[in-house]
Amino acid sequence: MIRHSNKRNAVRMSKTVRRISAAAAGLSAVALLAGCAKNAPQDTWQPKGPNAQKIDDLQKPVFAIAGIVGIIVFAAIGYALFKFKDRGQPIPEQTHGKPVLEIGMTILPAVILAGIGIFTFQTIFDLAKTDDTEMVINVTGQQWWWEYDYPVQEQYGITDPIITSGQLVIPSGTKVLLRETSRDVIHSYWIPALNGKRDAVPGRVHTLRLEADEPGIYAGQCTEFCGLSHAVMRMETVALSKDDFAAWVKGQLSLAASPTEGSLAQEGESVFLNQCVRCHQVNGLKKADGSPAIAAPEDNVWSGAAPNLTHLMSRNTFAGASWNLLTKQCRKDVWEASSEEFGKRYLAGVTEECLNQTDLRRWLRNAPAMKPMYADPTKLEETGGKYRGMPNLGLSEDDIDKLVAYLATLK
Amino acid sequence: MFTNGSKYLIGVTGFSAVVLVLYIALVDGAVGGVVALSSIMLAVGLLAGLALFNRDGDVQVGDVAAPANAESVGSSLWPLVSTVGIVAMGIGLITHEIVFLLGLVGLVAGFVEWVIQGWSESASSDRRYNASVRGRLIHPLEFPVLAAVGAAVIVVPFSRIMLAISKTAGAIVFILVGCAVLAGGVVFALRPNLKKTVVIGLCAVGAVGVVAGGIAGASAGKRDQLVEANEEDHFAHKECGEEKSKYFDFNAEAKVSMRSNPTATIEFIGGKLQARELGLNAPRTRITIQKSANISVIFRNKTEGEHRLTLHYGEKEVQEGVVEELHTCTQMIEEGEEQILTFRIDKPSIASEKPYTFSVPGVDDQSIEVFVP
Repeated sequence: MIRHSNKRNAVRMSKTVRRISAAAAGLSAVALLAGCAKNAPQDTWQPKGPNAQKIDDLQKPVFAIAGIVGIIVFAAIGYALFKFKDRGQPIPEQTHGKPVLEIGMTILPAVILAGIGIFTFQTIFDLAKTDDTEMVINVTGQQWWWEYDYPVQEQYGITDPIITSGQLVIPSGTKVLLRETSRDVIHSYWIPALNGKRDAVPGRVHTLRLEADEPGIYAGQCTEFCGLSHAVMRMETVALSKDDFAAWVKGQLSLAASPTEGSLAQEGESVFLNQCVRCHQVNGLKKADGSPAIAAPEDNVWSGAAPNLTHLMSRNTFAGASWNLLTKQCRKDVWEASSEEFGKRYLAGVTEECLNQTDLRRWLRNAPAMKPMYADPTKLEETGGKYRGMPNLGLSEDDIDKLVAYLATLK
Repeated sequence: MFTNGSKYLIGVTGFSAVVLVLYIALVDGAVGGVVALSSIMLAVGLLAGLALFNRDGDVQVGDVAAPANAESVGSSLWPLVSTVGIVAMGIGLITHEIVFLLGLVGLVAGFVEWVIQGWSESASSDRRYNASVRGRLIHPLEFPVLAAVGAAVIVVPFSRIMLAISKTAGAIVFILVGCAVLAGGVVFALRPNLKKTVVIGLCAVGAVGVVAGGIAGASAGKRDQLVEANEEDHFAHKECGEEKSKYFDFNAEAKVSMRSNPTATIEFIGGKLQARELGLNAPRTRITIQKSANISVIFRNKTEGEHRLTLHYGEKEVQEGVVEELHTCTQMIEEGEEQILTFRIDKPSIASEKPYTFSVPGVDDQSIEVFVP
């Protein structure tokens, strides 16, 4: 009877072990297969610039060494578990200490770690260099988007500072230094294909080198938890050839043109002046009396700024690079363009046919529904009623039509 | 009918209910307090119910357990500690939060100790055995807490002493105290047979001295320099008028915390003003800074005499028709000295008719334009 019960328990045990093994194998397979994903723009193993390449050159041998050590350790544990399994044999003679083995097992890891340490420090210092900088861009984090401003650098045609957001545009093959700070909480800037991550801290300026080998778009994401919409605080770095970058700069230095008299876009401009200019600046926009319309986000937004929309349609994304201004097909055409074709397609901006009106209209209709932003000021006593993001403006469908028409002119 | 533990818990539950009623009656709109007190009342009520249900646990300790008898039960201070805790909590509710918290700590500590003592005393009729049972359970908790309290008794008064006396005296005191501790340690090590009472006496005198010094230091307050440093904000001085500060930092860049801050370094060299932006090597006469962010620059005076850096960043209408110029300054600093200037500009440059500039008062032909996109 007892033997029968033991047999039943053994069968049950064996089934459980088989199930656990199958589940573990399944999970491992999923993890392994994830590494084969083709559409993985934030893959840390595919460097596209010299800084990311330096990290990759370090991480690959370190992973290899760690892998070998791991396999040896697990093999040794497995051997010990199997070989010395309790089979009722007498306990072997117990000895205390084995100096040669102990000293060896101390020195060997120390030597491995020291070797890794030397190359790690060398890489850290290489990545911290600023004296070979060719271009400087200020990067400011804010809940939940990134602002970029370009100080005057006449060698690149930047004769007046440029301001943009969402997409950072750089010339390829150029050593760019980002000067990062934050307006509210700690954020972290990370474009995996171009370099490691660097925190943007209020009151401090941290530097991060970026350089892209080839023109293209490189995706990234804020990597420091920064509040409600941290998960949708994304960014993209766009690398253009030097000629294309010069063309982009020229476009960014221009002021927004007034829409054609009597057009829907002109009506949209009025809506913008009534509603949006409280926070969003459009350089060149004038009030009815002819004076420049100056946004006052510092009076309405807790962190003190809102994206400058002067050249909104020159970028492919909006709302913290989390939604596309381009339709799916048009965006695919840009993302998958060859290095030679990329600049031309990117500089074409958002054309009327390519404008993703669906998401833009949804945003204008009720932005907080797409991206949570503590938009109800009555619940924000600590900010004195200021918004942390775009509120629901309660626009009518008619106003949204007009606004979309106006925004489409901001190229 | 009721066991001792449940009597106590029923009493605490009743007390919590009274405090809750008083709180609701006397304090308006403090939902957090009501929730906290209700939670305490419910939690203690639940414990009272549990204690009643299982008659205070009636713990058996395996094979060695034996019925408790009157001899195994000793006197206990913990009910008194718990009572003092409850009284302190009550006083804390109407005086200060810290009193309430201390009372809560006393209540919890007293309650836990009392429960464990009661439990251990029912283990056997042998007091020594009961004490060892209690020790096994409570010592891992008691010893770290007592060690932390002991360290705090030394550290807190010592810090008050060091904050109260001058920097020079502080160094001397530190050296003397260190030497005394070392000497004491050497004596105790060399004379292991020293009488226990002598060792305890010396330690007690030292502890009493430190505590008394700490009380005196706390009464005297921080030394003047520290108080003024706090008031004057030495690292980011903004005083544009007559100098009032005495202790501001003349060598700001030497501070590690300041080194990663500055967006630019502005130097006044031989009567000329020039800026170096982080990452850009060539001197510049126009710098760009981020809007609505706290920005720091270093001002370095390399010209004979005392000079200061002033930032002009537009105007602000303080009341209808009255416009005030916005500016901020470093202190006057001598040649060879430097200072951090921290500021935040909320309006972009295009909002002002006059450009934003850094300048040195008294030097009209030198300025650095500041652009805020």
